[in-house]
Amino acid sequence: MDHNFYLAMSYGATAVAIAAELVFLALGRARAWKQVNEERELEAQD
Amino acid sequence: MNLFYLSSPSTFFHFAGRLAPWFFVLAAVLGAAGLYVGLVQAPTDAVQGEVYRVIFIHVASAWMSMFIYFVMACYGAMSLTFNSRLSAMMARALAPTGAMFTFVALWTGSFWGRPTWGTYWVWDARITSELVLLFLYFGYIALANAFEDPRRGDRASSLLAIVGVVNLPIIYFSVQWWNTLHQGSSVRLTGTSMHAMMLTGMLLMAFSFWMYAIGAALTRVRSIILERERRTRWVRALRPA
Repeated sequence: MDHNFYLAMSYGATAVAIAAELVFLALGRARAWKQVNEERELEAQD
Repeated sequence: MNLFYLSSPSTFFHFAGRLAPWFFVLAAVLGAAGLYVGLVQAPTDAVQGEVYRVIFIHVASAWMSMFIYFVMACYGAMSLTFNSRLSAMMARALAPTGAMFTFVALWTGSFWGRPTWGTYWVWDARITSELVLLFLYFGYIALANAFEDPRRGDRASSLLAIVGVVNLPIIYFSVQWWNTLHQGSSVRLTGTSMHAMMLTGMLLMAFSFWMYAIGAALTRVRSIILERERRTRWVRALRPA
């Protein structure tokens, strides 16, 4: 197989892995803020 | 400045928020420079041809996989010794990034191994011990999240991280201790046998990954702080996102 295939699979997978982690970071941030807002609503109800 | 000024989660939350974007910017700039040097400027290898260019990410990610684990274990030890909340949170924040770099090191090594060794995988001491490192990261993440009380998860996972440090010298010295298919280190503290441009590309990528890891850990630790401190007055006083 052409060496371009091995380079593309290596660099491509690395880019996908980093992109996936950045998405998970954003999702984690959104989840954390959601929990904070839920806590605020509970407090407002009390 | 008080030495423990930043050990308060509320102080560190704001501190991390200001720093994280700069680390991502640094990572992007160094990464772009590293890719340019590695893929354009560095000469073709006399033996391996073009496929050797996989090493610019393979070596950098392998270094980061070990370095992040070591830092994570240090935070774990600090958490157990000083019972500091923030240290445990930092250890948790580093683990997914460390696992990601370990996976990248194994994956890229596999795609470098096929054209050079003739196989994607071999149960070689270096590769197997790196795979054990990936399982240690998975074990750490699973154990940290296995408890209802996060502080219990912190203690158990910190202990696992500290015990797992024994794997790091095994990874590093495996190519000297055993007869392995994996080549020995080309970069040592005493010098290198690499072409200067190849070394420059590799170091740029390593620094880029390092900056990225710090940015990712700072971003993740902010989410962990928010989740754990959501009932505190300072978090409720934050501007809603």
